Amino acid sequence: MTSINIPITKNMSSRIHAFFEEHGVFLVVFVLSVVSIISFWAYYQNGLGLAYNDARSHLDIGRRVVEGLKPGLAQLGSVWLPLTHLLMAPLIWNDFMWHSGLAGALWSMFGFVGTGVVIYLFLRRLRVGLLGRFVGVAVFAANLNVLYLQSTAMTELLLLFTMTTAAYFIMRWFQDDNIMYLIQGAAWIMLSTLVRYDGWFLLGFAGALVVFYVLFEKGFRPAEGTAVIFFTLGGFGILLWLLWNQLIFKDALYFIFGPYSAKAQQDQIDAAGLLATKGNVWFSAKVYFYALAYNSGALTVLMGFLGAVVLWFSKNLRFPTRISTFVLLAPLFFNILALYLGHSVLYVQGLTGDSLFNVRYGVMLMPSFAIFIGYLVSRAAPARFIIIGLLVFVAFFQFSSGDAVTIDDARVGSSQKNVTEVSAWLAENAADKEGFILVAAASHDAIIFSSGLPMKKFIHEGTGVYWESATESPDRWARWIVMRTYSEEDLTWRLVSRVPGFGAYDKVQSFPFADVYELRPEYLPELNTTPTLGKQK
Amino acid sequence: MKSFFGTTITIATVCIMFVVLVLGVRGLPGNVNIGEMNWKTWIEDGPFETSSDRARFVLTYSFIEEQSTIFSLDAARFAVPDLGMSSSGDYVSLFAPGVSFLVIPGYIVGKFFGASQAGTYAVIMLFAFLNALLLRAIAIRLGAHPIASHMGALAFLFASPAFAYAVALYQHHVSLFLILASLYIAMRWKGVLPAMAVLFLYGVGFVVDNPNAILMLPILLYTAGQFIYIAHKQTSSYITIRFVGALALAGVILPLIFFAWFNNASYGAAFSLPGTFERVVAIDEFGYPTESDITKAQGLSDAEISGKKDEKSVVGFFKTRNLLNGFYIHLISPDRGMINFAPVLFLGIVGLFILYRRQKSIARVLVGICGLTFILYSLWGDPWGGWAFGSRYLIPIYAILGIGVAVALTRFRKNYIFVILFLALFSYSVWVNVSGAITTNLNPPQVEVLALEEVFGTEIKYTHQKNFDALKDNKSKSFVFQTVAKRYMSAATYHRVLVGILIAVMLLSMLYLLFVKRVEIYDEH
Repeated sequence: MTSINIPITKNMSSRIHAFFEEHGVFLVVFVLSVVSIISFWAYYQNGLGLAYNDARSHLDIGRRVVEGLKPGLAQLGSVWLPLTHLLMAPLIWNDFMWHSGLAGALWSMFGFVGTGVVIYLFLRRLRVGLLGRFVGVAVFAANLNVLYLQSTAMTELLLLFTMTTAAYFIMRWFQDDNIMYLIQGAAWIMLSTLVRYDGWFLLGFAGALVVFYVLFEKGFRPAEGTAVIFFTLGGFGILLWLLWNQLIFKDALYFIFGPYSAKAQQDQIDAAGLLATKGNVWFSAKVYFYALAYNSGALTVLMGFLGAVVLWFSKNLRFPTRISTFVLLAPLFFNILALYLGHSVLYVQGLTGDSLFNVRYGVMLMPSFAIFIGYLVSRAAPARFIIIGLLVFVAFFQFSSGDAVTIDDARVGSSQKNVTEVSAWLAENAADKEGFILVAAASHDAIIFSSGLPMKKFIHEGTGVYWESATESPDRWARWIVMRTYSEEDLTWRLVSRVPGFGAYDKVQSFPFADVYELRPEYLPELNTTPTLGKQK
Repeated sequence: MKSFFGTTITIATVCIMFVVLVLGVRGLPGNVNIGEMNWKTWIEDGPFETSSDRARFVLTYSFIEEQSTIFSLDAARFAVPDLGMSSSGDYVSLFAPGVSFLVIPGYIVGKFFGASQAGTYAVIMLFAFLNALLLRAIAIRLGAHPIASHMGALAFLFASPAFAYAVALYQHHVSLFLILASLYIAMRWKGVLPAMAVLFLYGVGFVVDNPNAILMLPILLYTAGQFIYIAHKQTSSYITIRFVGALALAGVILPLIFFAWFNNASYGAAFSLPGTFERVVAIDEFGYPTESDITKAQGLSDAEISGKKDEKSVVGFFKTRNLLNGFYIHLISPDRGMINFAPVLFLGIVGLFILYRRQKSIARVLVGICGLTFILYSLWGDPWGGWAFGSRYLIPIYAILGIGVAVALTRFRKNYIFVILFLALFSYSVWVNVSGAITTNLNPPQVEVLALEEVFGTEIKYTHQKNFDALKDNKSKSFVFQTVAKRYMSAATYHRVLVGILIAVMLLSMLYLLFVKRVEIYDEH
């Protein structure tokens, strides 16, 4: 026998095709779930899952809602939007779920699988064949930066999921003119506005696209009605957030102008002359383009934009469908604009000094690129195997060399904070002794998290009367104080260093990010070591 | 009559190609010995200007004159910084050995005539010449007019940095020969024996330069398509697997045996890749490495040293984050970018589009090779290729675009805008690349220049301007210029003569092509 012929009848071929058509979504869910779990496990094992300082802070915020000296919804804070922390609440009470990061990562993992499914469905609505759909999903899922971020308690994957789903329903509305799709799109945008501020831009961007389209197609009255429906639902989350800030902080815009806001942070950076993108649109675009290329891979970016052009000029799709896909570019415009206006800071090694910071923002276009590449594979039939081959080739090297800029950003960039020493000191010296630790969560949340101590051991700025009492009379309330000496940015130092009670402390340890002060033994009898003020509401 | 003219032009062009290559070959008269090799005459002012030239030559020298693949101390000093150290502490070559062994006949013949170095370099020149012929043959098979095909070959060989690497001791033209030869065989003949030949060339490719194993993959897949394919019939399709194809695998055995033997003799490890061994950057007066990966790692933490060891794995050389910089360097940078060195070859993209519509399967192979080459060397941490002239890693792409140029010229030969654009870009590209070939490849990357300028306190050129400055200073490393021509003309005149010859040949060919009535690019069968 010199050869074999394996017959594939048309019947068999169409059955295989029908099987994948019928179970495609299930397959995507199954495969991505397995990938997601393996990926989380891998990063949990090597300890990188909590490398981002922000991941630990997110987990602490969630934990403070259910545990601490003053638990409750007020602990959701004012800077970061609340949805991620609210979603953590049902699980974060468990110490393992808190300290493993799983309480937060679970939603990232959910976002990862969900985004994969939406990419698949999006491409199906663009009449892309099975191969193109699976390639689109693979482009998104086989990216080390996406896999890393879906394994952490960060907000990016949940944002990608809500934004991409919103884009999907908006496209369906453009295709079918069914108001239910517009409502669903607005509802998903509303969710995204409660995850990150990128969602707020999406609301405006998608809203403008929708309203202008109706205006040109149907006239003013329908456009007015559409705008009311869309913005009422889409903006509901923003309204709630403003209301929340008004109720809790007595200022609806506290999240913008408050002392811990992004603006306050950017103002400090600007004052130090490190906000090079502000006022320079070309440089902003360049920095963000680098972040895109580092996160998505330069080849993915190239193919993604090529796919977008092919899609926009495709004669196979109706004009409304093509125009609807502009929504997928919202993160591009948002990030460049935010950098230009100085509302965002992003450092890329080589462009803005020798450090990385927030470079993960470049992952925001991954679902968009995946959709555009899926479409490209579908349309560029003669070249599809070259496109797939080159993408596989690059992915192979990304995985084999472990080249993920988000991990570098978390480990060695400005986003990292190695607080191992100070938190280990607390775990060793404070765990078995009575007494509270006074610390500013705004500056040292990572220390609180990494110490492994219960939240109720800490007096921080979210503990109301405890905080006020401890900063006025630290020697009565805090056995230990953790703060950066002489740093006016550290709220504890700013308040405590000026009161007489501070003289009762000795600096017992000095670490890179904070010093530890301990109350002298002679003052211990006067110290409150139990939460006598009760759990405040 | 027209056929007569056509044949005459073709023969004349092929002869002129060969002559211009000979006029470009770098070298000095004399049989260089190990004592003289480190002299300034041979290194800075001579043909051993780059460590790539030196490290490959010294392996040939060591093998012939010292009968060993392990370097003596003098030989090792000559090879740094492209010098490796085996696990037993011997100085060895850091490069794959193929080129050094293939040039042995040239070394012996050259030595016989009292020019061992020039003879060695001439072997690379011969490979470059064969590449031009193969390119022409492939273009003709794809339906390009024979005259357009040799014009494509001319554009590849003399209007791109390929010329500068045809006259020095680099692996690129040997690698390209293996790519083009295996492609030609795969296109021309079907069956087990041609497939075995393709696999033999694939194996040799690996021995010549390890990345060839990746660059030649599309040809391998194309060849495998004869033995594993889907046949469509009316009611059903069949996946056919012909087991006889497995016999072709025998072709790869011989080169791999050689490779294993060399590795064993040099490194004591038959299945290691040379590039993964410790690199020695300098040797002290007592013969010990003073700046190696290990000594450089001293003072680093264990984790950092471990990281450095990881980087020494094969895949550790390539990082996706390098891609963006790689794209820029290869395409548009002033020091290496194709747009500055070989803009004429961009017209080859038009030809590839034409091929894609008519001959999909072979066009896929060509584009696949281009894509892999471009991506692989953009992933590479040093896309500049060290101190170099133009982007040397793109030489396979230049050749494939040369095929595209042939196809495009065939189709658009009566489109005067295209013709004028082609001639203008060709003239510029030849002007630039001949200057590189007859002067130096030693142009620093732009990123190094700032630091160098600080050290030397003077402006340092990093584009082809440096080569034109050398011509102004009457410096040329061409063997013929140094031995004969410099008595009659300056280096700048020598450059103008070579450029003039090439443009004249191209104009004549173009003129002939304008009168060709009808040529069809074949459809795929």
